[in-house]
Amino acid sequence: MSHQKPNQVARLTRREALYGLSGGIGSLAFASMLQAEVPKLGNHHPAKANRCIFLMMEGGPSHIDTFDPKPALAQRHLQKFNRSGERESAMSSGERYFVRSPFDFLKAGKCGADFSSEWHHLKDFADDMCFYRGCQVESVNHPTACYHVNTGNRFGGDPAVGAWVTYGLGTLNENLPGFVVLPRTSYPQGGANNWSNGFLPADYQGTPLRPEGSPILDLNPPNGMTRKEQRSNLDLLAKLNGKHFSERPEQDDLSARMSSYELAYRMQMEVPGILDIEGETEKTREAYGIGDGKTDSFGRKCLLARRLIEKGVRFVQAYSGNWDSHDYIERAHGSLIRSVDKPIAALLRDLKERGLLEDTLVVWCGEFGRTPDNGIRGGGASYGRDHNPKAMTMWFAGGGTKAGHTIGATDEIGAEAVDCVHHIRDVHCTWLNLLGLDDNKLTYFHAGRHKQLSQFGGEVIGDLIA
Amino acid sequence: MFRRFVPASALLFAVLPSVFSLEVSDGEKLFALRIKPLFAQKCMACHGNEPEEIKSEFDMRTRQSLISGGEIFEDEVVIPGKGAMSYLYRLSARLEEDLEMPPKEADKLTKEQTWWIRDWINEGAPWPSEERVALIQKKYAEGEQVLTSRALTEDWQKRRYESKKLWAYRPLSVESVPKDQHPVDWFVNRRLKENGLEPASSASGGELFRRLSFGLTGLPPDPAEAIKFERQFEKSSDVLLTYLEKLMTSPHYGEHFARHWLDVARYADSAGFANDYSRPNAWRYRDYVVRSFNDDKPFDQFVKEQVAGDEMDPQNPENLVATGFLRMGPWEQTGMSVFKETRQLWLDDVTDSVGQAFLAHAMQCAKCHDHKFDPVPTRDYYAMMAVFSTTQFADRKASFLSTESKRGFDSFTEIVQSKISSYQQEDVRLKEKMNRLKKEETGSAKVGDNGLDPGDEASQSRIFKNLIRHRIELDRVEPLTHAVYTGKTITRRNVQGRLDMPENPWQKGYFDPDVIYTAGDVYSEGDAVAPGGLSAAESLGNMKVRPFPQGKGKRRLALAEWIVDGKNPLTARVLVNRVWSWHFGRGIAGNPNNFGGTGELPTHPALLDYLADWFMKNGWSVKKLNRLILTSETYRRSSRHPNPKSLDENDPKGQWYARFLPRRLVAEEIRDAMLAVSGELNPAVGGIPVRPDINSEVALQPRQIMGGTASVYEPDPLPEQRNRRTLYAEKLRGLRDPFLEAFNQPGSDLSCELRQSSTVAPQALTLLNAEEVQDRALAFADRLLKERKKESTVIQRAFALALGRSASADELSACIERWKQATATEKEKEPAPKTYSPKIKRTVMAEKTGEPYDFWEVLPVFESYQPDLQGSDVDARTRGLAHVCLVIFNLNEFSYLD
Repeated sequence: MSHQKPNQVARLTRREALYGLSGGIGSLAFASMLQAEVPKLGNHHPAKANRCIFLMMEGGPSHIDTFDPKPALAQRHLQKFNRSGERESAMSSGERYFVRSPFDFLKAGKCGADFSSEWHHLKDFADDMCFYRGCQVESVNHPTACYHVNTGNRFGGDPAVGAWVTYGLGTLNENLPGFVVLPRTSYPQGGANNWSNGFLPADYQGTPLRPEGSPILDLNPPNGMTRKEQRSNLDLLAKLNGKHFSERPEQDDLSARMSSYELAYRMQMEVPGILDIEGETEKTREAYGIGDGKTDSFGRKCLLARRLIEKGVRFVQAYSGNWDSHDYIERAHGSLIRSVDKPIAALLRDLKERGLLEDTLVVWCGEFGRTPDNGIRGGGASYGRDHNPKAMTMWFAGGGTKAGHTIGATDEIGAEAVDCVHHIRDVHCTWLNLLGLDDNKLTYFHAGRHKQLSQFGGEVIGDLIA
Repeated sequence: MFRRFVPASALLFAVLPSVFSLEVSDGEKLFALRIKPLFAQKCMACHGNEPEEIKSEFDMRTRQSLISGGEIFEDEVVIPGKGAMSYLYRLSARLEEDLEMPPKEADKLTKEQTWWIRDWINEGAPWPSEERVALIQKKYAEGEQVLTSRALTEDWQKRRYESKKLWAYRPLSVESVPKDQHPVDWFVNRRLKENGLEPASSASGGELFRRLSFGLTGLPPDPAEAIKFERQFEKSSDVLLTYLEKLMTSPHYGEHFARHWLDVARYADSAGFANDYSRPNAWRYRDYVVRSFNDDKPFDQFVKEQVAGDEMDPQNPENLVATGFLRMGPWEQTGMSVFKETRQLWLDDVTDSVGQAFLAHAMQCAKCHDHKFDPVPTRDYYAMMAVFSTTQFADRKASFLSTESKRGFDSFTEIVQSKISSYQQEDVRLKEKMNRLKKEETGSAKVGDNGLDPGDEASQSRIFKNLIRHRIELDRVEPLTHAVYTGKTITRRNVQGRLDMPENPWQKGYFDPDVIYTAGDVYSEGDAVAPGGLSAAESLGNMKVRPFPQGKGKRRLALAEWIVDGKNPLTARVLVNRVWSWHFGRGIAGNPNNFGGTGELPTHPALLDYLADWFMKNGWSVKKLNRLILTSETYRRSSRHPNPKSLDENDPKGQWYARFLPRRLVAEEIRDAMLAVSGELNPAVGGIPVRPDINSEVALQPRQIMGGTASVYEPDPLPEQRNRRTLYAEKLRGLRDPFLEAFNQPGSDLSCELRQSSTVAPQALTLLNAEEVQDRALAFADRLLKERKKESTVIQRAFALALGRSASADELSACIERWKQATATEKEKEPAPKTYSPKIKRTVMAEKTGEPYDFWEVLPVFESYQPDLQGSDVDARTRGLAHVCLVIFNLNEFSYLD
């Protein structure tokens, strides 16, 4: 099944989406407010996961200091490190030294998964998590690596994973958009292209709910205009548009556009309700770390993610960062880990308790891992790490992944993946596979070829699937 | 089954006698004509081409290996005589879940192709020898072989193509049109008749003038002109010619057509990616395009200048500016990237973009393997890439032409300088503070206990980076241009800002290898190639083939001449099709960037060829082409058809032009139209990019770049600077104007062949609530009240300006009623003037601590920022009218053209 629809069909679908639901503007769905089309195209094969929460650790968390201990680095600490080769870049040039992890490691859960000592809460879920140490990407720069992980294409402009998934599966609840992004106040390098619809229709674009200011741009009338005034304006608009449309009854895009105004008006009422977490119990809010300055920001995102998927959003991406710790890894990674540790643990607990984890795929990763060595800065070896596309840790939970396992391995210093090594495109294929989608079937014709998330096909990593 | 063990000799015996016999069985014919090419195209990549890597142990190279099957199915793969039961058929017909072959949905076989397999097996799965296959193919083959340079595989070389899909490579086939007929109508009406369609009648004078005005200038018509036109049009449609000439002499014509072309070229003022550095001189390319359309520069020359202007005449600054086209894609080289790879990134980008823009060929499809559908072997991809292997980046000296606008140079420099000096001052303060506080780091952990505030350290890096960024911007007013030269490749480690041209371009550096990179991998060099064009266009188009120069020769000039060669079957068709699509909202060939077999076939091939030929005979003049197209009845048709039912039945795809396809204005047109109608539009042409007001939350939102946070987006201080046409708004890859994005302005990473227009609710939010729209509505109200006094004439004037027509009695009373009501509520308000602060506190994350920190940023623009007209400047009556004006901007009629 290829999902592409010719324009004509898309137009009809849109009309149906707007008028064909339960009739009458009053009952129109929220999804249609944001997205003109609400297709539910269906799975290619039985799905293990029906929805996805993607925790994006932007900046590139260090595997060596989070989930992939490298005791061998302790012995080599501050010894000279040499690297060469054709692909050498400025980052790997100059004098470089090994840097050991400042953190102790412990074994957690029945499975004995590795956690650095800063993970105080998440370690309780070791047996629910599937760690993967074999992934490699191609790019050492943030935006290209972020694009690669988010869209399958290093150079941007392609649809994000969430866009592909909603294109393939539609949204579970017609009252909500299918793909929601919870960005940080400052967007990642590469900007909104990281959740772009690319060449897919605009309807599949990730809808960012901004953490500060207006959650959706221009959601509300500017200062001074009351809702009543706006209603009067909309009434005049409807009247004038009605006359124009009556002379052009064949042009369904005109009627779709008229409805979109009513939908927008309703959105102004409904969006705040979705974002309002005050209704959650004090206990829940505390569990997510809301109210504590260190964890509040990501805690809110995690709680919102749970609320959104509970209401039927197909794909939520939450950003944490910036994990780009070139210096002072102890301080920087320490505080970053603490900022996500409790919120993620609360999220997993919440999902489990509500019976959602089983068919919700949780993905945690950055755009690359970090190096076991570092260069000279400020006159001495600075205890941080540079970018490393050859090794990283990602982990999955729920959604049919192999809980309580650590798959793949990196070499003894964490420089390169050596076991169960796969390109990110294979991770993408696996990701879609868990959601009941086949990367080879989820295609869209653009610029002369059938494009797909993996770019030109890949392999499902069976080891990650339960 | 026993067939697994059929000895080779038995197989030979079965086939041998027929080698020499002229009797050809149906099975053999099927094999030679269908099955063998099908296997080659769909199966052999995994099941034979690379004997070391055969998937599932299933080898399709010989009948014997095929019949012995693979790891999953053995003798059930092919059961001679029993096609429907054989798994080769069942898998390729996708009857077995999870074992569909080929695995990619996009590669799946058609029903007919699966039947070939079934029938061939039913016939005993005969496998004639190579020689005999060749004989049979020679005698019976359908489809066409195409002579191309040389494929990577033998089978591809011998591939056959459906004749109709090769249309774009064939020489133009030009029919003669009866003297008394308009060529466009002659071809279009013929198709209408064939499809049983009646044409719609002519659009009204008002509708038509609006269509013409937006179509040629992207701006709404002047009401007085519109009335004149309507009056004369009632008498004779000939008046159209007069007015379209007039519109094409307006400088706004070039702006509007430039916007079309810049979509194809992916124009932007920044480089994208991690730093999104300014491309300070890119604007000169934008203005070059505007000038070229305004001057009606012959399109062949326009192409040549963009591809090889520097090789034609480097003394002419215009030629250097033109080559900016080649560098329009996103590109950067940071200290962390490997130069060989980023260099290759550009080579791939330029090969593909030249292919798409001028030849309607997405070249990327042939980068890793011979093209799957089109006669474009990988060799052609690398031949075209070799044209650019001696092309190098430089910001070349090019003195300003007298026609180039230098408006705003001084004020721009002043603002950037004050930004720079505010950063410098802060830097000095910081350095002092840090020197004071800094202490030796101790202990083995080195956790950053250096006595410094981590926020200060982050600020230092942020300031350092922003200083680089703003200094690059200063080049905007220098006589430099974002261009190329021909020479050896010099390895760059970190490209920040200006790249000078070496004195001797052949001295330092190396020659990029002119080779095929195996599977597109820059570390895997294959066969050598010579620079060249598309070999299928040469052979099928009967082009005279001249070898391109190599070594230090002018390779791009050779390619440019090849592209505009009168015999090149693609170029004129491609451009004519673009211009058609700009007027009608769809191309004669439906994919203006893709004339290959996967693009939509032309609906009116004879018209396309006629126009292409006419275009070349008329000096490649786009203005003349516009004149020809716009004077047709086809263009004049009403968007409303008298018989919609027949239209639905006989033209479901809307491709026969029985009526004019209505269209929504594009993002830039919507903004420009609001400015024009409100009277705020500054119609000045050309010059350095302007910074309009954009959504202030987005403008102030921290934006991460390598090393820190980019400076705030600061709009220009004066309304006349901000309220220029959208074409001149600074286009940053990393910071899109959300208004334009909402209305489907494409990003600048991929070439856009045609604008999309989707209807989503955020558009309604934007047009209702955005401050920029509210500002336009208020200015519109103010203008109206300055020009007219009486309520009804005010509203009539509003309709005339915004919609190009008068208001009906009903409309009039509804608007007046709302105006009165809104005035009453506005009377109760006392809007306060907006205030602007020349500095702002921002919060971002410090890399070294993973914790947030605050800093102040100085915003020099807001020391002299003059807002647009504000609510506090006008009375309640004006503000009341602004509500009506806002509604008018939101009307379907405002955004949709009949």
